[in-house]
Amino acid sequence: MTTTTTKAPDAKATAAASKALQRSGDWARRAPLLPALILVIVATQLPFVVTIVSSFMRWNAYYPDKRAFAGLANFGTVLSDPDARHAIWITVLLTVSVVLISLLLGLGIALLLDRKFMGQGIVRTMMITPFLIVPVAAALLWKHAIYNPEYGLLNGVLKGVFGNGAPQVDWIGSHPLMSVIVAIVWQWTPFMMLILLAGLQSRPMDVVEAARMDGASSWQIFTNMTLPHLRQYIELAGLLGTIYVVQNFDHVFTITSGGLGTANLPYYIYQTFYTAHDYGLASAAGVIVVILTMIVATVALRTVFSLFKEETR
Amino acid sequence: MTAVTAATTRAADAAEAQEIVFKKDTGAKVRMYLGLAVLVIWGLAPAYWMVVTAFRNVGYTFDTSPWPTHVTLDNFKTAFSTGRGNHFGAALVHSIIIGIVVTAVAMLVGMFAAYAMARMEFPGKYVVLGFILGASMFPGVALLTPLFKLFANLKWLAGANYQALVIPYISFALPLTIYTLTAFLAEMPWDLEESARIDGCTPAQAFRKIMLPLATPGLFTTAILVFLASWNEFMLASQFTTPQTQTVTVAIASFTGSQPHQEPYTAVMAAGAIVTVPLIIMVLIFQRWIVSGLTAGGVKG
Repeated sequence: MTTTTTKAPDAKATAAASKALQRSGDWARRAPLLPALILVIVATQLPFVVTIVSSFMRWNAYYPDKRAFAGLANFGTVLSDPDARHAIWITVLLTVSVVLISLLLGLGIALLLDRKFMGQGIVRTMMITPFLIVPVAAALLWKHAIYNPEYGLLNGVLKGVFGNGAPQVDWIGSHPLMSVIVAIVWQWTPFMMLILLAGLQSRPMDVVEAARMDGASSWQIFTNMTLPHLRQYIELAGLLGTIYVVQNFDHVFTITSGGLGTANLPYYIYQTFYTAHDYGLASAAGVIVVILTMIVATVALRTVFSLFKEETR
Repeated sequence: MTAVTAATTRAADAAEAQEIVFKKDTGAKVRMYLGLAVLVIWGLAPAYWMVVTAFRNVGYTFDTSPWPTHVTLDNFKTAFSTGRGNHFGAALVHSIIIGIVVTAVAMLVGMFAAYAMARMEFPGKYVVLGFILGASMFPGVALLTPLFKLFANLKWLAGANYQALVIPYISFALPLTIYTLTAFLAEMPWDLEESARIDGCTPAQAFRKIMLPLATPGLFTTAILVFLASWNEFMLASQFTTPQTQTVTVAIASFTGSQPHQEPYTAVMAAGAIVTVPLIIMVLIFQRWIVSGLTAGGVKG
């Protein structure tokens, strides 16, 4: 920091600063980035390189002597294992549906909260609540207090509305994936809402006002002005949401323990690592998660925007 | 729709159009409040139910009436009791320590990096940024194996070694920290800093005295997000903690009840409420800052 302090004004004052001085100035300006860079490299990038390397190794903690280079064998095993293939499919399905549904809900809530009404601040705070509940606790809440067929809220409400003859559904048992999706959507909607609300409030209101004066309907304003303006915010929310939901572990682990066909890739990795102790296989699946994150993020965004373009056409 | 046609003969039908708009307004208002009611129920009912369950006598678990009935504090006592091998109280302390250390370090390191990103020009800037942000794409699960091996070799997976969680948490939080802080810093009125420098402040003084106060909303928003991420993390915590470092998420997930195969779910809901309340209080206190930080990019003035 001290070098920056003394050198930065110098460089400004003397227009013809020497090359050497400028170069040391460059390094002084890079210095503040170094701690962050080192931490990220040590705890994220290097371990990931290790993951990539071990994904090409035969490496099971039960047979430490048999550690050897295995080529693409681990990837072959993962991609031909029906469990793993199912896990990949579930990951894609889970991520795409959670991100799309929570984006839509978040947009609806943001549009409503963007208007002026009594108690706006309170409602806004209340809508953030799901985001603040610890995911593991929220998952347990959904599992026990809401979905439970005997004492859960859903069946309780059904009984309250339709009397004692009301249908009593075993929610997790008969709709396992749907149960997980709804619980995750509930948790993620406020996040989407916050980003989209920020986008809505950065709209140039005078232009919207002018359009309204010229007789544009609310729907026209929404599709022709609001949505295009929100595009980058939707992109950001969708991208961040995808990155996090692809990795979802807490809900799957807690609500179904990966059973009933809801095991996603993170859960599969956890199992391979924790119960089978097959580090090579777990690493290969980890690499696939990273690749999948990138693919799903791109595809999800493309889909959202192709829908968009049809709307605005 | 009528408003569009009315607008073509604007001058003549101005009064009529006004009336239509007014009528549409009341209809829209009713729909808006209805929509709001549905949304508030969707967002709050589960959380409300958690609180109701947390206060309900465990003997009346099958009572699904939506009002708080059979209110008792027993569940909270059960949550904190250590009789059945649950150490929820200790886990709270561990989580708070880990959260504070992670937030403080990530914010400090992130601030330096974000300042450099937002304010300085040098070759390779975007390569470094890409490198740091790219790290956020790596799922924690993909790093589980190498981190586990590394920490096992360092003998960090036994005893009270908080760093086994603190270091990964910081590095997971950094990409987001740097990203948001850079966005906030880039939008700030830097002319003010310039004027402070002309008035004789050193860059460090100008930053501390002028820019830091202005950046407060952005800083708080980011700090709370970092704390949340560390407080909520479960997967790494379930693998890397020992009884001396167990975090709340692990404690809640592994709650054991009086019967071996029955989860003491009212006590779990009480514990869930306890770990959520501090976050809600924190957000309520800093709400003004957070909302302005998230909406206006932290610039006021």
